[in-house]
Amino acid sequence: MTDRRLMIENAAAGVFADPENSKVAARLLAEEIAEEAAGQGVERFSDSVRIAHEQGLLADRTAEFVAEHAGTLDAMIDDAADDRFEYFGLRTVYDRYLLRHPVTRKVLERPQHFLLRVACGLSESPAEAAELYALMSGLAYLPSSPTLFNAGAVRPQLSSCFLLDSPRDELEGIYERYGQVARLSKYAGGIGISWTRVRSRGSLIRGTNGHSNGIVPWLRTLDASVAAVNQGGRRKGAACVYLEPWHADVEEFLELRDNTGEEARRTHNLNLANWIPDEFMRRVEADEDWSLFDPKVTPELTDLWGEEFTEAYRRAEKDGLAVRTVPARQLYGRMMRTLAQTGNGWMTFKDAANRTSNQTARPENVIHLSNLCTEILEVTSDGETAVCNLGSVNLAAHLGPGGVDFARLRATVRTAVRFLDRTIDLGMYPTPEAAAANTRWRPVGLGVMGLADVFFALRLPFDSPEALTLSTRIAEEIALAAFTESADLAERFGAHPSYDQTRAADGVLHVDHYDSAGQGPEWDALRARIARTGLRNSLIVAIAPTATIASIAGCYECIEPQVSNLFKRETLSGEFLQVNRYLVRDLRERGLWTPEIRDEIKRGEGSIQHIAAIPAELKTLYRTAWELPQKALIDLAAARQPYVDQGQSLNLFMATPTIGKLSSMYAYAWKAGLKTTYYLRSRPATRIAQTTVAAAAPAVRPEPAAQAAQSPRAAESPEFTVTDAVACSLENPEICEACQ
Amino acid sequence: MLLDPGMNLTLRPMRYPDFYERYRAAIRNTWTVEEVDLHSDLADLTAMTDQERHLINRLVAFFATGDSIVANNLVLNLYKHVNAPEARLYLSRQLFEEAVHVQFYLTLLDTYLPDHDERAKAFAAVEHIPSIRDKAEFCFRWIDSLGDLDELRTREDRKAFLLNLICFAACIEGLFFYGAFAYVYWLRSRGLLDGLATGTNWVFRDESMHMEFAFSVVDVARAEEPSLFDDEMATRVTRMMEEAVAAELAFAHDLCGDGLPGMSAQDMRLYLEYVADQRLRRLGLPIRYGSANPFPFMELQDVQELANFFERRVSAYQVAVEGNVAFDETF
Repeated sequence: MTDRRLMIENAAAGVFADPENSKVAARLLAEEIAEEAAGQGVERFSDSVRIAHEQGLLADRTAEFVAEHAGTLDAMIDDAADDRFEYFGLRTVYDRYLLRHPVTRKVLERPQHFLLRVACGLSESPAEAAELYALMSGLAYLPSSPTLFNAGAVRPQLSSCFLLDSPRDELEGIYERYGQVARLSKYAGGIGISWTRVRSRGSLIRGTNGHSNGIVPWLRTLDASVAAVNQGGRRKGAACVYLEPWHADVEEFLELRDNTGEEARRTHNLNLANWIPDEFMRRVEADEDWSLFDPKVTPELTDLWGEEFTEAYRRAEKDGLAVRTVPARQLYGRMMRTLAQTGNGWMTFKDAANRTSNQTARPENVIHLSNLCTEILEVTSDGETAVCNLGSVNLAAHLGPGGVDFARLRATVRTAVRFLDRTIDLGMYPTPEAAAANTRWRPVGLGVMGLADVFFALRLPFDSPEALTLSTRIAEEIALAAFTESADLAERFGAHPSYDQTRAADGVLHVDHYDSAGQGPEWDALRARIARTGLRNSLIVAIAPTATIASIAGCYECIEPQVSNLFKRETLSGEFLQVNRYLVRDLRERGLWTPEIRDEIKRGEGSIQHIAAIPAELKTLYRTAWELPQKALIDLAAARQPYVDQGQSLNLFMATPTIGKLSSMYAYAWKAGLKTTYYLRSRPATRIAQTTVAAAAPAVRPEPAAQAAQSPRAAESPEFTVTDAVACSLENPEICEACQ
Repeated sequence: MLLDPGMNLTLRPMRYPDFYERYRAAIRNTWTVEEVDLHSDLADLTAMTDQERHLINRLVAFFATGDSIVANNLVLNLYKHVNAPEARLYLSRQLFEEAVHVQFYLTLLDTYLPDHDERAKAFAAVEHIPSIRDKAEFCFRWIDSLGDLDELRTREDRKAFLLNLICFAACIEGLFFYGAFAYVYWLRSRGLLDGLATGTNWVFRDESMHMEFAFSVVDVARAEEPSLFDDEMATRVTRMMEEAVAAELAFAHDLCGDGLPGMSAQDMRLYLEYVADQRLRRLGLPIRYGSANPFPFMELQDVQELANFFERRVSAYQVAVEGNVAFDETF
């Protein structure tokens, strides 16, 4: 090990004592990377691209573009921009994003080369490349991982998500889908797939005069297929299966992720989501019965939503077509149990998704599912696989002296949308169904990250009214800029081909579905503008989870609160301590950043609520996701929803979930008008003993938070036996790099 | 002698090669729960009448605890007092098999009872279902009967131990389980619950061997000390058998109610008496009932050969989630 490597490790280990060590380690790592690249003959950007092209890693087009403009592009490289990286972010770039020599595995580019290479892969002129590179090197905007991985590459699969309609209810259709899923997974796309059209257990199979075994055996095959395609690849395959709750196999579906029971009826690799019509939630509320149908008998239900669905559903009931009837609350309770035990079985709402979507103006265009991360909502059909290209704005990089710099935010958004739109034309599509859909609808998903940074910097508690107002304003500004840019693009290149099938073509924008949203002269002007030009993109905004790109940017993930003031990231390349630097700054100012307090934060597993020396104001600001009322997270999301024309990957947090709390929470989310929710995060029941802090008295338990009612969890989990360095044991979020 | 106190460790020369052969045979019969396909059972369960489902639920509730009780006695009493290393080898193997049975019935219940409340109730059957509780209490009584005997020093001690051994072999594995198996095979004779029947076949085979091993131990002890089997012993074993039949019959009444097609408490009584007689006969005691087997489907049962096994992932267990659907809780 070189001396520098040792110094890097020492600095990284000292992050908790002094967060500045993160920057120190990052700087040393940047030197290390530069040296490694130099060893491969890489000094200038144009060297990097030439060598990577010679090794077959980059496309001819990229190499030619860079060769042609070598001088200009080489001059753009701003190595000082490396100083913006925190250690974990740069380490992530180094371990997983930089191009490597196929044989020596040494890096062929420096971090800034990598960002400019991505920019060049998406640009038609050096000026364009400069514009995008400036945003990326400033960590103000990052495209999603597939774009970062593949822009400029030989096979530029740039899309994050693919949404496949349910296979047709026949053997051939099902096997076709397996093939499509395999091809899409191969290039690191996350898969969402509905299974609602496939007949349920006991349904007659005419061809053989036998009876169907239902959907579970098919999903087992899907499970194995998804896992197999990615073996030995860059990451584990990832897919989410959507099912509507009227499907007669829904109960077995909800058990697919259980760790107990018959292994032959379990799918450990698949994520599960419920695609819920309003009628179900109404019956849960009214404590009525719920009928389960065989989709072979009621095929129309899959393609209907809203009142038409409700009518058809009730008609089918009246006609006695139900396979079985269960109390709606019983099924709802089972959904909640699945969420509590597996974090899976995401609650996503079919009617809200369809009612407000720009794509569903015509009855033949229906949204049948969301994606792997529940932020994409696009129509699918047997011949159309929905695709989405994503990128996220780092809000933390748009803070000025007076708060959020909205002018700069708008400028970033416009550039971002332009390049997202570009990826539609540059991307390689693994299946013709995906290519067909993407060129017709041209949807993109612009998201955000670093909202929690903004709140910390401006000292706004996550559940304060000011935070709600600011968060909503940010969403509105982004929507205005994004729609304006898409109208500009439509003016230059024409509206997307299926524009006449959208609600926008009928004069209805997404925001118009929400009372009191989208008011004012700017919106009026935008409506007039779009009426004239149309839109280049049928959908524009989606809040993706951003786990990996937020790491690179060194900000909190998407719209999420912090999970802990101190936690450990576990990756293939090691464990990284992450500490809330805003908290450290505040404690330092008060002379409270002492070894004793640091030990207390460890004992509290990253909570500060139990530490008497810390003032109440800080305790309120620095609550963790486990200590915040989840109602606030839902309220923020609901207020933002008018400006998010797709969905939001909204994780909810509950340390010790109960059926009662969960059912209240998800019913609230539905009523608040959310289109989707994502994981339910909960904490494991037992933990290993701490070793790096002396055991305190029998049980150290945080006092209830400043606002006692807002910290039910801390109060309810008395066992603080605790992990070593305060790991926040979320399910490993790295399974999906697609949206991140 | 086999029941002498102590911890004999000498395998050569081997005193009881028969026990060692049984141990080796048992290993060849290894099976794993993952090999049992319960898939088709679920469809059958949904098609059943309430009465049939009641029978199944009670049955699996008994299974949920039965093998655990046997395993406990094995550890607490049998292993301690059967003083031959080759016999202890077999008992070690038997303990593993009991664990597999426990796992099988656990998996069965988890699969059959998707409703978590029902599932929890089934696992707690020993506490609140009288017909199951009575059988469990019968077992516990016999486990406890040796509770304070650390060594078998006197003839009375050895008689007490043999009674415990006979109870577990003849009454619990040999009667309670055989009764339960009969319900399973009755269902299978009607084309139902093939998965359960497959697993039960394998459990059945194991239990047969456990019983035979125990009876061999009795045989050896008896040969080594013939006076153990006196009239008092005969009387006590017969009385124990009667108690076991009564407990199992009460269970049958609970399961069958007024009777199902092809299965009733009356038939079950005859069957249990028939089985009890067989156990007594095996022990060289006079038969007690003289009943004939009323169940033709039991005659058909033959232990299948099991060729292979393979490994799968280990199941983990999860914390239960509490509570009911509500809309006004704080979150």
